Amino acid sequence: MKIRGRAINKGMAAGTAVVLETPFSFIGDMNPKTGELTMAGHPLAGLPLAGKVIVFPTGKGGTIAPFITYLARKNGKAPRAILCEQVDPITAECAMVMDIPLMDSFPSVELTKIIKTGDTVKIDADAGQISINYPE
Amino acid sequence: MTLLSGGISYMPWIKERWKLFLTKREEDMAAGVYGKGIEKAMKILVKFGNAFGAEKLVKITSAHTMPVEPLELLKEFAEDVEEVAVFTTLHPLMSAFSPDKYESMGIDRDFAGEELPVSEKRAEIHKRLGFNRTYSCLPQLAGNLPRRGESISWIGTGAQIMANSLLGARTNRDGTVINLCSALTGRTPLWGMHLDENRKAQVLVKFIGINFDTITDCQIGAIGYHIGAIARNRNVVFEGIPRNYGLDLLKYLMAPLSTSGSVSICHLTGITPEAPDSQTALGGKKPDEVVTVGEKEVLATWQKFREASRDEVDLVIIGCPHCTIGEIKSIAGLLDGKKIGNNQRLWLGTAEQNYRLAQLMGYAGIIETAGGVISSTCMATVPCSPLPGDVKVVKTNSFKAAHYITSFQRGKVSVVVDDIVGCIKSAISGCAEVR
Repeated sequence: MKIRGRAINKGMAAGTAVVLETPFSFIGDMNPKTGELTMAGHPLAGLPLAGKVIVFPTGKGGTIAPFITYLARKNGKAPRAILCEQVDPITAECAMVMDIPLMDSFPSVELTKIIKTGDTVKIDADAGQISINYPE
Repeated sequence: MTLLSGGISYMPWIKERWKLFLTKREEDMAAGVYGKGIEKAMKILVKFGNAFGAEKLVKITSAHTMPVEPLELLKEFAEDVEEVAVFTTLHPLMSAFSPDKYESMGIDRDFAGEELPVSEKRAEIHKRLGFNRTYSCLPQLAGNLPRRGESISWIGTGAQIMANSLLGARTNRDGTVINLCSALTGRTPLWGMHLDENRKAQVLVKFIGINFDTITDCQIGAIGYHIGAIARNRNVVFEGIPRNYGLDLLKYLMAPLSTSGSVSICHLTGITPEAPDSQTALGGKKPDEVVTVGEKEVLATWQKFREASRDEVDLVIIGCPHCTIGEIKSIAGLLDGKKIGNNQRLWLGTAEQNYRLAQLMGYAGIIETAGGVISSTCMATVPCSPLPGDVKVVKTNSFKAAHYITSFQRGKVSVVVDDIVGCIKSAISGCAEVR
């Protein structure tokens, strides 16, 4: 299934999705040393985000987040790509600092419902599209 | 495009991809003529500007940056740079960590051990490059006073909303890297709050039954915290704030708006430069939403931080945003001849220069004799929140601090909000109760 969206930071990547249904921040919700999700009480808390395609509705606050993502990248713990329903400027800045693809605005779907944690997602931000391969 | 082994693409830097207009000088900066650091900084600004539809870069008249850059990042962007491009002030040292004061604040030696060598190296680079070591979240206290209509890049959500609202200067809620790149190059993408049409209010707030003569600092904070959650990222205008309200009180109204929400600008009708009247602030349009605030809303918001987990308070924090000299004077008056409890700690935050003023006026001496510690650090303890291990109950007069400390401590600490007088009384008596 190919879905059209908007490229915020270009590039191509493929990886396993981690889907979060609430707004996410790299400061507070991710540990830059371990790359783990640190959302208190979340069922996926503790899950490593390194090398994953993180999917969330939008970012939330935390202007210090770009520094945190720089550290994550230096530690080899950066995610592989980011997909948002509607990106916020801080998340965009983080993707640019980590130099990973970021896409948003997928008008034909509700992104966090159509992708499930564990799905393989391929992103071609240059072409403005993603494809989801459900695990068989 | 080739996919490297990590699954990340290689993107050659192609001039034709630049949609943003660059002057000759800016093209040279991006091409490395002014060194490697400026080249990197410029490339990120251009990439970001393109993503957010900026026509061009705008020159800024001042910058305010966060002094806790990862050391490698600072070195990368500062490579070949002789000095910052514009007048730049520094935000507080974060996580309440002060190299001079951490011991008397009770902050863990292990945490300090990791931080100290890094903070020394950063300070050397900041000094060499001319970042003014003001260490405050209120840059105005240190003489960073841009004029109406000037574009700036300031870090810190409290500083950002106050610059936009009270000064009529223009800054986006820049992240720390765009902000640093703006300070080093003297330019920032022309988008968002740098444009007239994005500065108009969508949310109008009116008051019923609030007595502005008797309302306290923390109750004003409750109003800000309440409205922030409602406004989310929309612009706000308040009707009915008294004209005689100064920075002391206005900072408590504004700071929480960008904490519970992500508000960039908060006009005050009849007071702030872009709001001679509500219609002008609204851009001649009807508001998207009109919100009425009365005592009921203030009390309901206050209730979120009103019940301590136990009777005894361990740590009292005042200074989020940083205290003005007027507040320090009041606090000294409340502590004169008294001592804080044996099991209590009192942390006050203010700008580095303000601390010097407080020393000259005798206020610092009184506060320190009573057992309080004054530092120029982030009293909301963002982001590492290294509270002493024995702290279970915190009292503060700031909703912003209450919000962040609660969040970062993940349930280990109970935070209550009270006015300054109540906070100091608790520091002395050890009793957490909010009356």
